Amino acid sequence: MAKTLPLKGIRVINFGWVWAGPVVGQTLAFLGAEVLKIESRQRLDMTRTLPPFAEGKPGPDRSLSNHACWAGNGSVSLNLKEPEARELVLQLIAHADVVVENFGPGAMERLDLGYDRLRQVKPDIILFSMPAAGLYGPLEHVRTYGLSLTSLTGLDSLVGYKGGGPIPVENAFSDPLAGIFGAFAIIAALNHRRNTGQGQHVDFSQQEAVMQMVGPAYMDYVLNGRVGGPKSNEHPLNAAAPHSVFPCRGDDRWISIAVQTEAEWKGLISAMGDPEWARADEFSTMRVRLANIDALHARIAEWTARHDDRALAEQLQRHGVAAAPVLNVGDLLHDPHYASRATFVEVEHPLGFQETIYGAYVKMSRTPPDVRPGPMIGQDNDHAFREVLGLSEERYRDLVERKIIY
Amino acid sequence: MTGVVAESASRASAPGVGALSGIKVLDFGQMVSAPYCAKLFSDFGADVIKVEPPGGDAARQAGPFPGDVAHPEKSGLYFINNTNKRGTTCDVSVAAGRELFTGLLRWADVLIENNVPQQMSAWNLTYPQLQAINPNLVMISITPFGQTGPYSGWNGYDLNAFHLTGASSRYCGRPGEMPLEHGTFSADYYGAIAGATWGMAAVYGRDLVGGGQQVDVSCAEAIAATFVGGQNIGLVAQEGRFDKRTGVGMPLGAPATIVPCKDGHVWMLALERGQWEGLCRVMGDPEWASLEMFQDMFVRAQNADIMYSFIQEWTAQHTKMEIMEKCQAAGCPITAVFTIAEAAEQPHLKARDYFVDIEHPDLGRVRNLGAPFKLPASPGGPVRPAPRLGQHNAEVYSGLLGLREAERASLQAKGAI
Repeated sequence: MAKTLPLKGIRVINFGWVWAGPVVGQTLAFLGAEVLKIESRQRLDMTRTLPPFAEGKPGPDRSLSNHACWAGNGSVSLNLKEPEARELVLQLIAHADVVVENFGPGAMERLDLGYDRLRQVKPDIILFSMPAAGLYGPLEHVRTYGLSLTSLTGLDSLVGYKGGGPIPVENAFSDPLAGIFGAFAIIAALNHRRNTGQGQHVDFSQQEAVMQMVGPAYMDYVLNGRVGGPKSNEHPLNAAAPHSVFPCRGDDRWISIAVQTEAEWKGLISAMGDPEWARADEFSTMRVRLANIDALHARIAEWTARHDDRALAEQLQRHGVAAAPVLNVGDLLHDPHYASRATFVEVEHPLGFQETIYGAYVKMSRTPPDVRPGPMIGQDNDHAFREVLGLSEERYRDLVERKIIY
Repeated sequence: MTGVVAESASRASAPGVGALSGIKVLDFGQMVSAPYCAKLFSDFGADVIKVEPPGGDAARQAGPFPGDVAHPEKSGLYFINNTNKRGTTCDVSVAAGRELFTGLLRWADVLIENNVPQQMSAWNLTYPQLQAINPNLVMISITPFGQTGPYSGWNGYDLNAFHLTGASSRYCGRPGEMPLEHGTFSADYYGAIAGATWGMAAVYGRDLVGGGQQVDVSCAEAIAATFVGGQNIGLVAQEGRFDKRTGVGMPLGAPATIVPCKDGHVWMLALERGQWEGLCRVMGDPEWASLEMFQDMFVRAQNADIMYSFIQEWTAQHTKMEIMEKCQAAGCPITAVFTIAEAAEQPHLKARDYFVDIEHPDLGRVRNLGAPFKLPASPGGPVRPAPRLGQHNAEVYSGLLGLREAERASLQAKGAI
C-alpha cells in the first residue's frame, strides 16, 4: 500500500517549463501532490533536448539533466495552439487545486487561461505565477535568463574577488531556489484556502524572492549607507576571521575554514601545531584578526597547502574548528556523507535505462517521498483523459490522431 | 510615501488574517537559517515565539550596526530576520528552563531550530523526546550538514556548507583561483526556504499522515542536489566526466557574461539571432559585428576575447541603465548589475510596495525588505519589529503558560528566564 504523503489529494496542473517552474511541481510531488505537467511534442521544452542523453542516445525522453530537474512531475501532452487542447486543459483545471506557470505576464491571458477564466471552471483555484519581476510594475516585461536575474537583486554585485569586479555565477542559482520557494507560497495559499475557502492568484516575483538573500547587505546599506561589493569568501558581515577557502595538496583542492569564536581560534592554533606567528598581537583578537585578515589568510594558506583537504578537515574538526573540504562535481557521487544520506539515487526509467538523479533533498521522518524518474512526454495521458476527465475511447483516439493530444 | 507605507502596513499580515494564521511556531534558532525560516511563518501570519538563550541570538552580535557600534538591540541581521515574532528568553540547559520550554512545546505546532544534533541531544531535546511531549509537533531542523551522515556532528557555518555542494567549484570563480561563495549566507537561506516548504507541507498534512515528524534539512545537501546535482549528476554518473568553473557566464555561447560599462557592470547576453541583432542595432551596427567570426553564438564564444574587447569599447561609453533600457527595447535580455544601493532604490520595487518601513524602539524608523511573494487574498510581510531580548517573557510565560508572577520571579532567580 502506498504511504500517505502530506499533500495527498492535491492536484497540480503545471505549465512550468525549463527549470524553475518544473522544480515547483517536483517539490509539490515529493510532498505528495499529483502534478501533471502540460507540455507538447509540437513545441519541445528546450531542456528536453540538452545532452547528455541516457546511454548516449539522443531523444526528448532521454536528457539526463532534464530528468533530474523534472523528476516527480507527471506529464500530459497537449498542443495548446489548438483551441480544443485549451478546452481540455480547462476541464483538467476544473478537477485541480493549483495551476503553476512561469511564462511572462499576460501569456496565460493570451492562451485564454487567465485567472478570471480559471475561476469560472474552479472558483477556489490557486493560480501561481512566477514571472522574473512580478505581474506588474515598470520592469514587468524585463527579459532575463535565470543566471542573470540575480543582477536585478544586488546579489551579483557581491560575488567576486576582493577588490575586483563582479564574477558571474555560471548557472541559475535562482531557478531551483525560486522553484522550492514557490512551492512554499503554494502551500501557504492552500492553507488559506483551507481556512477560508478562498483561492487566489499568487504573484511570485523571482526577483523579490531571491532578493531576500541580500538582506544582510541590504541592512548595511539602510543603516550605514554602505554599498557592499565582492569580498572573496570573507564573512558577509565581517563577523568571523579567518573565513575563507584555502588551497590544499593536489590539483584544485581546497578547504573551507570559518572561525567565529575564541574557542575555535584556539582550536585552529592548536591544530596548526602552535606556530609562533599565530601568537602575534595582530592576530590576538577577532577585531585585529579582521583588520589583518589578508595576512592571516596568507599564513593559513601556507599551512593548508601542505595537507590533504579531507584529512585536514577531519583533523580540524577534532579541534572543534568549522572546516570542510571544497567538493567538485566529481566528488558528489562518492562523498560518504551524501552517500549515507542517499542524496543521489539510481532509478529505472520506463524506457528501460538506469539514471542517477537526486532524491529527497530534505528528509521527512514520517513521510519519506517516493522518488520517480524523469517524466516521459504524455506518460499520464491515460490517467488524465480517461480517468480524470472520463473521455470515451473513441474521443480519446480521435484527439490523439488529430494531434490535439500530442 | 507615508500613504504608501500606511496602506501596505494595513494590508499586511496581522495575526488572524495571514495565510498561515492559526499555526503556532517556536523559533529556537540563531543567526540566519532557522530564524529566516521562522520569519517566513511569522510574516505570513503564524504566531511565532522566538526562544533565545539568556545571552541572545548570536545575530544580535553580528551586525551590521548603525555606525558600526555594537549593541544587542541594534543588529541589522537580527532586525531583518525576526520580524513579527514575539521574543522570550529561556535557558534550556537548566532543569527549570527545560520545564518551561516543555510547556511551550505542548503549545506549539512547529519547532524550528538550527543547533548541532549533539547539542540538542545534550539538552534532551531530540525529536523522539519531543515527540513524547507533543506527538503532533513538526520539528524543522536546519543545519549545514543535517541530522544523519558522517558530517552531521561537524562544526560548520554557511561557508562550509556552501563549499561542500560542488556549486563553487563548478560555477563560481576563475579557474586556478579560489572558488567563491555569493557574498551572503546563501546556503543558510537555501536551507531555510527548503525547510519552510517541506515543514509547512508536514504541518498542512499532519492529520492526513497521522501526526508530526522531523523535517531534516542539510543546507549543503539541498544545494548539492537541486542546484548542482540537477544539471550535473547525470553526466558524472554515466560518463565519469564533469566540468569546473570558467569565470565566464556561459563558456559555450557568447556574449554571455558580466562586462564593465561606464558606471559599473552589465550582464551582457545576446545568444539567439534576434537578440544579437538587437544588440548590434543598439551599438549602431558596427562593422566588426558583421565579421564571419561573430555570426552565431558558438563561433562568438570561440572568439570571445576579441568580441568582448569590441563590446567593452562600446559599453565603456554608456551607463548600465542606458544599456539595459535600449537593449531590452531591442529584444535583448541585457540587465544592469545593480549595486545594493541601486537594488534598494529601484522604482520598480517601490511601485510594487516591496519595501516596508518599520518603527523599532532602538533603531527608529527603518526600511525593510517586504514579503518575498504576494498573496493578494492573505497578504504577508513584516509589520511588527523584531523583539527586544525577552520582550514578551511576561506575556508568554504568564499569559500563555499561566505562570503566576511569583513563579516567574523564581524562574528568573534560577536563571531559567
